[in-house]
Amino acid sequence: MKRRTFLQFTAPSNIVMAVLLIFPLVYATWLGMHFITFRTINEPAFVGLDNYRTVLADPAFWGALRWTLVIVVVTVPLHMILGFVIALLLDQMKGRTRAFYLAASLIPMIVVPMIGTIIFKQLFEPQGLIAWAYKSFTGSIFVFNPTSMKWVILLHTIWIITPWAIVLFFAGMQTISQEQVDASSIDGASRLQQIRHVVIPHLRPLILLTALIAVMDMFRLFDNVFVLTRLNPVFRADTVMTYNYRTALDLRRLGLGNSVAIILVIAIVVALVPLLYVTYRDQIKER
Amino acid sequence: MRPITHRLGRVLLHIALSAVVLYSTLPFMWTFINSIKTKRDANSRVPKFIFDPTIESYSAVLMKKAPENGLQIGLGLIAILAMLVLLGLFAKRLPVRTGYIYWGIAGILLLVAWRIPTLVKTTGFYDKFLNTIIIASGAVVISIVIGSMAGYGLARYTGISGVVILLAAIAFRSLPRMGYILPYFQASQNTGLKDSYLLVIIVLVAVNQPFTIWMLRAFFMTVPREIEEAAMVDGATRFGAFRRVVIPVAWPGIVATSLFTLLVVYHEFILIFILAQTKQTITVAMAAFLGGVGDQGGIPLQSAAAIISVIPIILIVLIFQKQFVKGIGVGAVKG
Repeated sequence: MKRRTFLQFTAPSNIVMAVLLIFPLVYATWLGMHFITFRTINEPAFVGLDNYRTVLADPAFWGALRWTLVIVVVTVPLHMILGFVIALLLDQMKGRTRAFYLAASLIPMIVVPMIGTIIFKQLFEPQGLIAWAYKSFTGSIFVFNPTSMKWVILLHTIWIITPWAIVLFFAGMQTISQEQVDASSIDGASRLQQIRHVVIPHLRPLILLTALIAVMDMFRLFDNVFVLTRLNPVFRADTVMTYNYRTALDLRRLGLGNSVAIILVIAIVVALVPLLYVTYRDQIKER
Repeated sequence: MRPITHRLGRVLLHIALSAVVLYSTLPFMWTFINSIKTKRDANSRVPKFIFDPTIESYSAVLMKKAPENGLQIGLGLIAILAMLVLLGLFAKRLPVRTGYIYWGIAGILLLVAWRIPTLVKTTGFYDKFLNTIIIASGAVVISIVIGSMAGYGLARYTGISGVVILLAAIAFRSLPRMGYILPYFQASQNTGLKDSYLLVIIVLVAVNQPFTIWMLRAFFMTVPREIEEAAMVDGATRFGAFRRVVIPVAWPGIVATSLFTLLVVYHEFILIFILAQTKQTITVAMAAFLGGVGDQGGIPLQSAAAIISVIPIILIVLIFQKQFVKGIGVGAVKG
C-alpha cells in the first residue's frame, strides 16, 4: 500500500485522535498550572508548578499510590491463577455444556462495573447474604471498616477481572495443537507435566499480555472503589483515580485535579516503556 | 489437552465448574431474588428464601402509574415482538434481501421503543434507556466506520508511520480519563455542544479509537491480500476493493469489535456523568439510585433497576458469545 493511500485510509481516525486525545492532553497539562474552581472556570489564575508540587507533597497521594500498588500486587497474580485454572476446566468440556459454563463465568465482565458493584455490595449490607453467613459463622456482625472495606475491594476487583483472564487463556488453549499434547503423553507425561511443559510455554506471550493489561487496568481502577466506598474518607481506601476525582470534583480544585492526572499520565507512560519497546520490536520484525 | 474420561473425574469437573458458576452469578441471583420481594421481606436480617414473589418493583421502576388498559398494551407489545421474531426467523425464505429485513426489524423495534412513553406513563429510567440506545449505537457505528478504515490501512501499510500510530494507540489506551474531563468540559461550553448527544458520541468514539484500531487491524491481517489484489486487477479502486471484498470477508471480526465497543460504551461512567447532565445513560443513572438507598424504594426497587439495566447487555453478549470469545482470541486486546 502506498503512503498516500495509507494516510487517506487512516485520516478520519487520526484526526479524531489528534483533536480529542492529543490536543486535550497538552491543554490539560497547561490547565494543571492554574488555580481553577467551578466558579472561576473561565478565568483560571496561573500558578506555575505549584499544583504539581502540592500533589507530590501530599501524603494522601502517596497513600493512594501505595494502596493502588497493593491492589496490583494482590489481584494481578491471583486473577491469573484463577483464570488459568478455570480455563483448564472449561477446556475439558464440549459443545453446549462448555458454552453454558463459559457464558456463566463471563457474566462479571459483561455487567456494567457500576451496577455490578452495587449488586456485589448488597451481599455485604446488613440484609445481605454474606453478612448473614458471616454472622452465623463468627457470631459477630459484619461492618464496613477500613480493613474489611479493603478486603471487599480486593475480592470484588478479582471477581470483576477474572473473566478477562479466563477468556484470554481459554482462547489461547484452543490454538494448542493436539499432536503436541499427544506426543508428550506418549512420552509418558502426566497431566500436570503436560500443563507445565506444553500448555504454559504455549501461552507465555498471552500470559505476559494479560499481566500487562491487568496492571494498566488496575491503575485505572475507579468505578468499583467509587461505589463501594462512596468516597467516604473514613475507609482510607482511595486509589490514585479516586484520589484524583476527590481533588477535582469533591474539593472542587479543578486545576489541582488536572495536575494529579498529568502526574499519573507521566507515571503510566514511563511504566509502559518496556511494553512499548517490545511492541515496537515485534512490529518492526513483522514488516 | 485430551478430555478426562474417568467417570468420577467428570463428576468432579462438573462440581468444580458449578462452583465457578455460583461464584460468578451469586450476586445476580441474590439481587434477582431481592427484586421480586416486598420491601419488608428484603429487609429481613435473616434472608428469606420462601416468600410471595411480586413484580411491583419492576413496574415501579419503569412506570409512574400502571395504566388502566395495561393488559391490552402488554398483549399488543407481545404480539408485535412475536411477529418480528417470526419475521427474523423466516427472513432467509422471503424474496427480499435478508439485510433489509433485519434493518426493518431493528427500525420497527426502535419505533416501538420510541412510542412506548405515549402509551404508558414511563419514569425517567425509560428515558435513560433511550439515551443509552442513541449514544451506544452512534458511538459504535462511527467507531467502526472510521476504525475499520484505519485498521485496514494499518494492516496493509508497511512504513514506519504505521508503527508510530500503533504505539501511540497503546499509550493512549492506558491513560486515565480524569485528565481529559476538564478540557472536554471547557471545549463543550465554548463550542455550544454542551449536553448534546453529539458531544458524548464523539468523545466516546475518540477514547475507544485506540483499542478499536488495534483489534480491527488484527482481523484485517487475517484477510489474504490476494483477494483484494484480484479485485483491483478487475478494475476496482483500493477503496472499492476494501468496501466490496475485504469488509465482507472480515465481517465476523467487525461484529466482534462492535460488540467490544458496545460493551465499553455501555460501561462508561465518568465521561458521560460529567459531560452530559441531562443525556445520561442507564449506567450513570444507576449512580443516582445509590443516593436513595434509605427511603425511596429501598432494596427491591434498587435490585429491579439493576436487573433491568444489566439484562440488555448480557443478552446481546450471550447471543453473540461465539464471536465474542473468538474476537478476544484473534484480537487479544480489550478496552
